Amino acid sequence: MTKYIIRRLLGIIPTLLVIITISFFIVRVAPGGPFDGERALPEVVKRNIEAKYHMDDPLLIQYGRYMFDVLRGDLGPSFRYKDHDVNFYIFQSLPNSMILGVIAISLSIIFGITSGMLAAVKQNTWVDYLSMALAVVGISVPLFVIGPVLQYVFAMRLGWLPTSGWFTAGDGWKTIILPAVTLAFADFATIARLTRSSMLETLRSDYIRTAKAKGMKPSAIIFKHSMKGAMLPIVSYLGPAFAGIITGSVVVEQVFRIPGLGKFFVQSSFNRDYTLIVGVVIVYSVILVIMNFIVDIVYSLLDPRITYK
Amino acid sequence: MNLFNKKKTKLEATNEFNQVVVGNSLTKDAWRRLKKNKMAVISVVIVSIYILLAILAPILPIYPYDEIILDHQHLKPSLSKTSGELLTEKKMADLYTQAWRQGRLKVTPEEDDMLWAWIDSSNANKVWDYMFIVGSEQIADGTYTFTSAEKRTIDNLEKKLKTDLQITVKKVWHTNQETGKKDNVAKLPVEQVVEIYAEMVGTSVEIVSEQYEREIEQQLVKVIMAQNPDLTPEEYLLLYDKELESMSEKEHDKLVKENVLAKISSRAKEIASKDLKVAATDESAVFPLDKEIIIQGSLSADVEATKMHDRRYYLGTDYQGRDMLSRIIYGGQVSIAIGFIGTITSVFIGIILGALAGYLGGKVDYFIMRIVDIMYGLPYMLLVIIAMAIFGRNILNLFFALAIISWLTVSRMVRGQIMSLKNQEFIEAARSMGAPTWRIIFRHLVPNSLSVIIVFSTLRIPSFIMTESFLSFLGLGVQAPYASWGSLVGDAVGGMTLYPWKLFFPAAAMTIFLFAMNFLGDGLRDAFDPQSKNQL
Repeated sequence: MTKYIIRRLLGIIPTLLVIITISFFIVRVAPGGPFDGERALPEVVKRNIEAKYHMDDPLLIQYGRYMFDVLRGDLGPSFRYKDHDVNFYIFQSLPNSMILGVIAISLSIIFGITSGMLAAVKQNTWVDYLSMALAVVGISVPLFVIGPVLQYVFAMRLGWLPTSGWFTAGDGWKTIILPAVTLAFADFATIARLTRSSMLETLRSDYIRTAKAKGMKPSAIIFKHSMKGAMLPIVSYLGPAFAGIITGSVVVEQVFRIPGLGKFFVQSSFNRDYTLIVGVVIVYSVILVIMNFIVDIVYSLLDPRITYK
Repeated sequence: MNLFNKKKTKLEATNEFNQVVVGNSLTKDAWRRLKKNKMAVISVVIVSIYILLAILAPILPIYPYDEIILDHQHLKPSLSKTSGELLTEKKMADLYTQAWRQGRLKVTPEEDDMLWAWIDSSNANKVWDYMFIVGSEQIADGTYTFTSAEKRTIDNLEKKLKTDLQITVKKVWHTNQETGKKDNVAKLPVEQVVEIYAEMVGTSVEIVSEQYEREIEQQLVKVIMAQNPDLTPEEYLLLYDKELESMSEKEHDKLVKENVLAKISSRAKEIASKDLKVAATDESAVFPLDKEIIIQGSLSADVEATKMHDRRYYLGTDYQGRDMLSRIIYGGQVSIAIGFIGTITSVFIGIILGALAGYLGGKVDYFIMRIVDIMYGLPYMLLVIIAMAIFGRNILNLFFALAIISWLTVSRMVRGQIMSLKNQEFIEAARSMGAPTWRIIFRHLVPNSLSVIIVFSTLRIPSFIMTESFLSFLGLGVQAPYASWGSLVGDAVGGMTLYPWKLFFPAAAMTIFLFAMNFLGDGLRDAFDPQSKNQL
């Protein structure tokens, strides 16, 4: 097991290298640069600026220098914002995105598993139909539709919750509800459907029948015996779920005006702020890769059939 | 003897009682099961309606999706009222509200409080609606009268509503002086069109040709600039020269003709609008009307005139006065087309690579699957966002960006299918008869896994559409004047309180289609593979 963990940890490095390399070159291959504003700069000025950011060096040398800096944990200066460097902006906005993401994923896991289990146990009753109808909505309706619609209904019509903002005075934690629910919806739907189908399958298996025949309490059968077996597909879904949360947060932060990493990311892509773009991608990828790693480990702990060498 | 010669004799299967057994193919069986599934049948109908609407969009009786009428900004959706009536209502409500705020229009203190509460909670729509009703009542029973300035505003508006015309030039005719024959100018050869135009303006052909060459150059450079932003002027000129070179004589002539015809048409429009404005003011003509007007000498044109403010917007208008109904239909066209074409492309790539990996195995398999693994590990949506922001936001780039990433799952699935099939007897039989690899893959293996592929592709279409709309929502996909469902929703989010229809109609159109596609996909999967029921 320890060996497996070490090997997986080592495997993360090439993935990250590939991601950094691809994003580094994608932004630089395209025509135009971060200093092409509305007004054309005089040639000398432009050359001076490029020299300041070492952009007049050959691409490979730039790449090498950048890689070296990244390894030291320095993501470089921002090309557009002069006051601070990329690290500053990322550490300023990352906590907001993290809070939102963690709450969203917890919501989707808790409600997804609960409603999926209820649906499976009470198959073909109104509980089943209701939770599956909700799940279909979550799968079919994109979150940039769910977000504004929730905003319209709960914030503008009913006035229960604030429309947008982030821990603004007076509203406090209430600002987080709508964005988190919006972000959680899609994963809630998938998790609920997964739980239901894997629960149904487990409930039909032989060992459950044996447990029933022994006269065990239904609650014990569900929570002690079925749940562990039924959780496996859900754990393996969590990897893609994290990726979905990250892309989703880009939209949700836009809709609810949250000062998070996603908003920064879209803005910097428009601005061609090379270092900021690549920096945000690196942060996202590190989170994603680590999450996938944890999911794998948890999976192996849950399923004794899987052995790792 | 040719082994691949197909024999025409029909083999009949019999059972132990010597009865003929009619075989039931998988597709027939699946079709039977699909027909039993009510949701799937409804979905098929809905999807067909959407596709029909998308295909027939150009011939539907709707306004052009990119026609900007600034007078008609943000009109409410209405089934019964024309835009003129809506405009009057809007103006009246505005006048009454102003009068109330200036204290000239009196309401009860309770009403005052209510109105102020609405204003505080930024419910401007409610205030206007309420004031319109109160104001109209007070005008009717004489408790409130308009000031002279307000009266003038209303008169002006009424006059404008009456006389604003929309004129389209349908055809331009040229009567030949010698033969007396009437020719459609659009169908005449270029030289003649240019001559006619020169005669109309009263200059020589040379001056005209100089003028249109210059205009065509500007036009082309504009197009090039829109396609590739961020180039230097020299590069633009270079691209322009290339464009000119690559253009054939015929294409060039067509451009010239379009340019000159547009000028003739605009002259016709000017003349027609002058003529008809008089008719509209004294109500001597009934609109909409078709009329032939004489431009000059032997040149005449068929024009169609409609009253601008007789238009009806069943789903309202957007911030530039464009009809939402037609924008939603055309937006659907873009979204559905990207969904279908994108899925077909990605499935095509996926089938080829997956089949090769699955059948050949070994190094090929390892190589292809490593690529897939690495690409799976990438946060690809982020890369797509970067690519779209940097390489230019147009439909083609969007399409490529999506197709490049979406073949991964297909190829994995096809590979799995083929690996499970390739050791079966019928493949061995084909191989022993000497069938080449490509034939085994594409005639035996792929058709046998087609049902799984079809089911998967159906479920793929909605997610493709979602991704496209996601990017368009962020402003990275389809650009104005084109629309897609995503960009329509994206445009609407800003003014949601005041103009909720801009959000709800495109969102509903999109949601219904995605629902239907998901149900259809689920139904197809259950039909093709009954055992997988209730699986995700």
